Amino acid sequence: MKIAMVTEGTYPHQFGGVSVWCDQIIRGMPGYEFELVALVATGAEQVVWDLPESVSSTTEITLWGSPPGGPRSGRRSGFPSRLVRRLIDSVLDMSPDATNRFGEVMRQLFDYAQRGNLSAALSSGKAVKLLTEAWQDRWPHTEQTMPTVQDAVTAMQLVEHCLRPLSHPPVQADVVHVATNGLGVLPALMAKWRYGSPMIVSEHGIYLREQYLHSPKLPYRWPVKTLYLGFLRQLCALGYREAETITPCNIYNRRWEEKLGADPSRIRTVYNGVDPANFPMSDGEPEVPTISWAGRIDPIKDLETLLYAFGQVHQDMPQAKLRLFGSPPKGRESYLERCKALVAELGIGEAVVWEGHLDKVREAYNAGSIVALSSVSEGFPYSLIEAMTCGRTCVATDVGGVTEAVGDTGLVVPPGSPARFAEACLTLLGDDSLRHRLAAAARARALEFFTIDGAIGRFDEIYSFLAAGHPLPVVPPEPGAGDLTEDQPDDQPEDQADDALPVEAAV
Amino acid sequence: MSASISPTLPPSVALHNGNGSKPHRTAVLRAEAPKPRDVEELCEKFAAVCESAVHPLQIAGALEFDGWSDQAVRKRYGVSDVFALAEEMYRRVPRRPAEPPPQPDPWRISKWRPALHGLLYGMPTVCFAAAAGLLVGRGVLSVMIVALLSSWALSQALAYLGYMRLGQGVPVQAQRVLLAGLGAGIVGVLVAMDFVSVAVPVYKPVFIFGLGLGSYMLGATVLLVLGAERLLFIALAPGVVGATVFLLLGRPEHLEHVAWAVLAATPLLALGLAVARTSRGAELRRRVVRRPGSKPPKLLTMADLRSALPSAGWGLVAGGLLVFPVAVGMPDHGGVNTGALLASLPLALSMGAAEWMLVWFRRRTQRLLRGTRKLGAFATRTRLLLAAALLQYLSVTVLLTAAVTAIAAESGLIRPTWSAGPQVAAYMALGCSMFVSLLLQGFGSRIFPLAACAAALALEIAYRHFWVLGQIVVCTALLAVLTGYAAVVLGSAARHAS
Repeated sequence: MKIAMVTEGTYPHQFGGVSVWCDQIIRGMPGYEFELVALVATGAEQVVWDLPESVSSTTEITLWGSPPGGPRSGRRSGFPSRLVRRLIDSVLDMSPDATNRFGEVMRQLFDYAQRGNLSAALSSGKAVKLLTEAWQDRWPHTEQTMPTVQDAVTAMQLVEHCLRPLSHPPVQADVVHVATNGLGVLPALMAKWRYGSPMIVSEHGIYLREQYLHSPKLPYRWPVKTLYLGFLRQLCALGYREAETITPCNIYNRRWEEKLGADPSRIRTVYNGVDPANFPMSDGEPEVPTISWAGRIDPIKDLETLLYAFGQVHQDMPQAKLRLFGSPPKGRESYLERCKALVAELGIGEAVVWEGHLDKVREAYNAGSIVALSSVSEGFPYSLIEAMTCGRTCVATDVGGVTEAVGDTGLVVPPGSPARFAEACLTLLGDDSLRHRLAAAARARALEFFTIDGAIGRFDEIYSFLAAGHPLPVVPPEPGAGDLTEDQPDDQPEDQADDALPVEAAV
Repeated sequence: MSASISPTLPPSVALHNGNGSKPHRTAVLRAEAPKPRDVEELCEKFAAVCESAVHPLQIAGALEFDGWSDQAVRKRYGVSDVFALAEEMYRRVPRRPAEPPPQPDPWRISKWRPALHGLLYGMPTVCFAAAAGLLVGRGVLSVMIVALLSSWALSQALAYLGYMRLGQGVPVQAQRVLLAGLGAGIVGVLVAMDFVSVAVPVYKPVFIFGLGLGSYMLGATVLLVLGAERLLFIALAPGVVGATVFLLLGRPEHLEHVAWAVLAATPLLALGLAVARTSRGAELRRRVVRRPGSKPPKLLTMADLRSALPSAGWGLVAGGLLVFPVAVGMPDHGGVNTGALLASLPLALSMGAAEWMLVWFRRRTQRLLRGTRKLGAFATRTRLLLAAALLQYLSVTVLLTAAVTAIAAESGLIRPTWSAGPQVAAYMALGCSMFVSLLLQGFGSRIFPLAACAAALALEIAYRHFWVLGQIVVCTALLAVLTGYAAVVLGSAARHAS
């Protein structure tokens, strides 16, 4: 059986979480033949992963290099005025049913791209003219944001680059598995339209949310962002609607998927997994109470909260230590400097150790009595499930899939709340029997739910069913992320009911 | 507090806080930022996000990133979830997006660079004058023309491929391409010249001079693509200084061989420096540890080579148009074309001005793109800019020609006569045509200038018996056609996508 795996800017040209995940899946299922379809920037990227035997081929689709098309003449097919106008309309339309029209347009653009030169058509003066007309017709905003000629040119150019996959021959496979939503669904949709191949959309972070969060850094004016992000929103929504199965790596992500039109019955959460052989049970605990943290030193990890919290821990438990394992990304060391200054300001320099990068991350978990994670944003953090596999209980912030990972084997507190964080750390550090009980539970939970074999088994099952043309077996419906928080008992005391709020410090 | 292993996925309870007892510490080291009391305050806090949001979901993303969960917003603001809150905020706050910070201008170059390039293009002319004694006898014209045309064509193609690789952001790959192209180019020039020497007997030193000329062109191209103008100056120094001294001394016969030897140093230096500059990258490439089984990236694909063909063709045709008047000579001046000699140096120098005007045009049209809201207005103003650029280029070239003529007349190197006027005029029109061709090529239109110039060359050859009159008519027509085409093509905003 042949699986086509589609990636965008990750495997096999880059390292990182998604690439690790792709490699794990392909290596874990040597019985399948894999064809990689990698969306890359210029085509000058090099393959940095050793590809397993089961990878039969790698097709690169360049989004920013010289345009595809070449000998095929756009003239023969004529300029697709109606199609381009409908594309623009469906992107600028914010009503939910616009996604259906967007889907039809994509399919027709695909037909056009297979016989004519779509890139030439979209970068032509006529396309720019259609966009300026569409903008003029419906621009509802103040003079200040009126689009310029430059905006129209730039926006059409971005759309042209995004749609380049449509000009490539569709991939032929029994199942097309897209590693992230977004542009990667285009090759999958093409295979579906041409050969009827079922598609799976996996998601680690929510593609669209990440694009939105990144958008302030884009060098474009607002009208361009409106069109570009509108295009990506419709494309993501189309990906969710067309996928036979959506496999987020945590339940939390379902909220966005359903919001964008995903059919809840098609969503199957497949948690990331770790290899237990790499994270054996820790033997013993450090002699002094120690909080350990491991990760990339980056503002998203909100180390300030951890440091403030540790300041309070230090007051109550002067012998306690905080060990931080990890380094900042190159060129972004200023955050580490800020954190070090904060340590000095809090007067906890004696008790805080910056350990730097560690090759064997499991030693970081072994070094702590408990493991902390104070991030303001996470998908399904490997550091937690690795720590749990090593037999460590965690204190973590309630973001992304953290509650799903930790369950009731650790303490989860609201993000950005040093007081709550400190309290949870003190509870665990001060109660040996509780800590040991939770640590054992954490390891058991990780071995039950978050092993790599578990993840591979679920994909194996999904592949077989989809390739055989069966719908996935009915499983008890997974609760939405909203339900995750419904179970809070209503009869909590007033101060407890407030717990989930990122509100006033508990003084 | 009890902790038991959750029997089934998903875990259903987030354990907030501990056992419900009041926190027992008295000091909080950081006063946590007070959370907005109502949606209005929240809108104020997220004003920048809300004002520039393209969709309510963008605000939802920002709220989640700030740590808000569905449960938290439900309890605090009584809305059903983060999405509903985001929609409410999107409704309340009007769009007032901030303008992006000004982007760095990619067309910003030093004022001196074009002037420097003009000098670099013009300086080799002195070497030709000094080598006049060498360039005699049968076969000279054929060898020189073949050497010039083949090296122009190959160096245009090489520059195209080099810039293409640089544009992909892989300087090491560009160096590999340039090094390989340099070798292939020299072989190409050699083969072309061999063909000529089979047809007509060629004096050995002339053959060597031709080969030197070709090598210099290719080496200089490599250095210019890599932005190593300084190295090119070093390469030119011995030849130009030697030639100038030799000419100033009045071409003393006993120094002739010394002069020629000094001239030979320039192509050798250009080649050596080009190889040194590129082999470092090629060496680095080799030393990169590659994973077993991964193939090294291909140097060039067939498609890359095909895409370089229009550049090579244009180099060939443009070279043909430039040397044609020299090749046919003048009927009444014993074959010496004074007008061609008078125009060749200023034309070479003017290419520096052409580069400057190309950049000027780019910067002005980019500014126009940002400041115009209607496509029609953009087209009109761009055409005016095109006319202005062409006029400025022409003025500089006329001034340069006047200056060179005056200096040549003053120093007695050439005796200019009014009869050379029409030939100089034909060259002016040709220079302007070259400028417009380069402009079009810069905007991605490579086939039309090639076709137009090829047609012009064919006409000049077909009507060669009209001499200079034919050239004036053809070059003026060429300029008109190219300018008309540019006015149409560049008026389209889509062409100006950067």
